[in-house]
Formats: sequence, structure tokens, C-alpha cells
Amino acid sequence: MIASRPYALLAELTYRCPLHCPYCSNPTRARNDHQLTTDEWKRVIREAAALGVLQIGFSGGEPLVRRDLTDLIRAARETNLYTNLITSGIGLDDDRVCTLRDAGLDSIQLSFQSDSSDLADAIAGARAHQRKLDVAAKIRAAGIRLSLNFVIHRRNIDRLPQMIDLAETLGAERIELANVQFYGWAFVNRSALLPTRQQVVRAREVATAAKARLAGRIDIFYVLPDYYEIRPKPCLNGWGQRYITVNPIGDVLPCPTASSAIPDLRFENARAHTLDWIWRESESFNRFRGTEWMPEPCRSCPQKEIDFGGCRCQATLLTGNAANTDPVCTLSPNRTAVDAVLHDINSSSEQARDWTYRINPGVPVSAWSTGCNRGR
Amino acid sequence: MATLTIADAARPRLAKGVRLQSDSVTGKRVLLFPEGIVELNETAHEILSRCDGQMLNEIVHALAEEYDIDPTPLAADVRQTLADLHQRKLIEFT
Repeated sequence: MIASRPYALLAELTYRCPLHCPYCSNPTRARNDHQLTTDEWKRVIREAAALGVLQIGFSGGEPLVRRDLTDLIRAARETNLYTNLITSGIGLDDDRVCTLRDAGLDSIQLSFQSDSSDLADAIAGARAHQRKLDVAAKIRAAGIRLSLNFVIHRRNIDRLPQMIDLAETLGAERIELANVQFYGWAFVNRSALLPTRQQVVRAREVATAAKARLAGRIDIFYVLPDYYEIRPKPCLNGWGQRYITVNPIGDVLPCPTASSAIPDLRFENARAHTLDWIWRESESFNRFRGTEWMPEPCRSCPQKEIDFGGCRCQATLLTGNAANTDPVCTLSPNRTAVDAVLHDINSSSEQARDWTYRINPGVPVSAWSTGCNRGR
Repeated sequence: MATLTIADAARPRLAKGVRLQSDSVTGKRVLLFPEGIVELNETAHEILSRCDGQMLNEIVHALAEEYDIDPTPLAADVRQTLADLHQRKLIEFT
């Protein structure tokens, strides 16, 4: 399979964030030194556009932490990229919304943790919900396209109808109802986050009904809870096929979670090589490209160019080998690893398990208490 | 799912946050929107490039004249294309 060019660049500008969500997919141990400078990011953006990238998502952590965000958006628009800001909204005051819009920002994806302050703030580990409501109104007033993103997990999944109502009230054009995927902090907190089968069945019904009811008004995107599926997700639409991620220190990744999930893969840095070279020539982008690398049961599977063997990070995290079939697939000899986790969650009467809040890079772990009922 | 009826006087426009531009690699026209790219066929591009405040019947007439085709089946095609795009929140009517 020839990967002629990538379509989208995810620019992870920083791993710092004012929220501490236990479902964060960022690495639990991240380097925070030698972050790319403004000029280095501008060069990355120009190289990405030259390589064929059409869209850039500014993400993190919280991208608003970078004071040069406006310059970077402007640089992206100068190369004709579609610009999307993926944000918690914290730090987006009136002036800044307008400044970003005037720099050419096309759309904003705003995260919410639930539909009401008490639960949402308990999940975020910060007083954030009310500020997000204000920010959503400002985005609307500024005339920028607004998507809401809810990460769905055991503690908030029963609030799906109310979350959809909130998105309607706030005038969002799109809602992502993203069942938590288990990487980074979310993997650490899996037993507290994984919903029960009963919850998942109900959530799917709610999402399907809302999709029909809101068709043409709000675009609803429902991310499946993949542990409950029988076939893996088509992760990245294939490794090294459509996406490039650049992380805060300039490492260039086929996927955002690969650097922490796949320890034996060495990633190149944008300071040392061009994006073009990394995309075409690097070991990390070529290792799982196409279908040649696949073991059985993928190799002879008619689905191999539909799901691409699933997720390499998930294969590593659950089987210890990135080249294995994603164990979500019921044809995988390692499916038992997933079934054991599901069995544990669905046979336990214990409802509330503690989680560990995400901490910012550079902050000692001992400075934080754990547990979902931490007082504020 | 409800079928959308589009009036002759409806004025389709690209929805907020949707951009129509060329793909520098393929030279093809694409619609860009949050987390999505649609590569347009020639028909869709011809329609969308006219979604600038003109009424539906004006768009149909312009296309029928330019390509010398019967406006009746063309109108049905244009309506279908617009309904699909509207369903995906890529165009809006004013």
C-alpha cells in the first residue's frame, strides 16, 4: 500500500493543561524540556502543507497555554491549512476568541466532562464547567464553528441524553460522544472508567436515536467502546496512511499515543529531519504500513484492509507486542486479555472505583491525592 | 430519517466553518470541515461553487444552460446532492 501523503497534522503544542481528567490519553510520563519554539512550529507547519496536509488540529494538553497560538494559526492559514483548535476552553477569554478568529481559525472543538458542574468538575479535577459554558457562548458570538467533545466513561455514560441536550442548547454544529479509549492516563485508570455492558447497550440506543432526531441540525459522531466490539477499530485508517502527529518536543509520530505505548519503536524528531523524510523513509512510519507486517489471523483475513489489524498501541499495551493483532478482535488468540477485563467489570458489584488524576509534566506525583471524591 | 424538501427559492451556502478549495497534491476540489475532507466530483463542485447566495432554481438554470442539459432531471440531482451535504452539516439554507 503506497502512502502518498498525509491529510492531517495533529500539533500537540504542550502537555500542560489546567484540567486533570483521569481519561487523558497523554503519556503518564512526558518530557517537558526543549519544547519546539514558535519558529520551529512554523517550519513544521510549512513542511506539513508542502507534504500535502490539508488540515491541522492544535491540541495538547491545552494549546491555549502557548501564547504564540495566534501566530501558529496565522502561519497555518498562510499555507491554506484548515485550522481546528482542540481545547478545554480554559483561558479563552473574549479578546482571545476574536484574536484567534481574526488570525483565521476555522473551528473549535470544546471539551466537556458532563452536563452539570458537580460531576463535570469532579471528573476534570478543577472548577471548569461553568467557564466552559461561558466560553461556548463566546465562540458562538464570534461566529466560529463549534463542536463539543464528551469523553464517555462509567461515571458519566448514564448522562448521555443530558449531554446531548446541552450540546443542543449551546448551539453546537457537531457532538463527539467518544467512549474512552485506553491509552496513557486512561489505561492506568481503566478499571474506574470502563462502563458496564448494560451501560454500553443503553448508550448506543440513546446515541442512535439522537442521531436520527438531530439529523441535519447537529452532526453526532459516536466513538464505539472498542473493548465491547468483536472487530477492532480501523486505527488511523492504517498506520502511516493519513495522519502525522508532532508532540511538544518535536517527535514526529504516526499516532499520538505511540511514543509512550510502543517503547521499542524509535521516533524521529522534526529538528533533525524534514517531515517529508520522516513520512517517507523513517523506520517508525514504515514499520506497520500496509499489510506485509501482519501476522495471522490478519494476514489471511478478508478484513485486513478494512480494519488494518486494529491499533498497534493497544496490541502493545495488552499483549506486549506491537505486531500482534489488536486483541479486541475475537479472532485474536489474545482476545482473552480483553474478556478478562470485561468479566472483571461486569461481574463486580462494586460501582465506584478510585482513579488517579492526570498531573502536569514536571509536577511530583506526591503533590496530588488520588480518588474521585477529592475535595476542592 | 426525514427527507429534506428544498424549495426553489432556497439559497444554499457553505455552512459555517466549511471551506471549498483545491487539494495541492491532486488538483481536485475538496470540502474541508472539522475532522473531515470530502473530495468532490465534478458535478458536486459545479453545484457548490455556485452556492454563494443564488437561489436553487437559478443554480439549476445556470447549470442546464452551461452544459446544455434538461433542467428537470438535473434539478432532482442537484436537490439530492444538496440534501446529502445538508445532512452532513456542510451546507445551510438561507
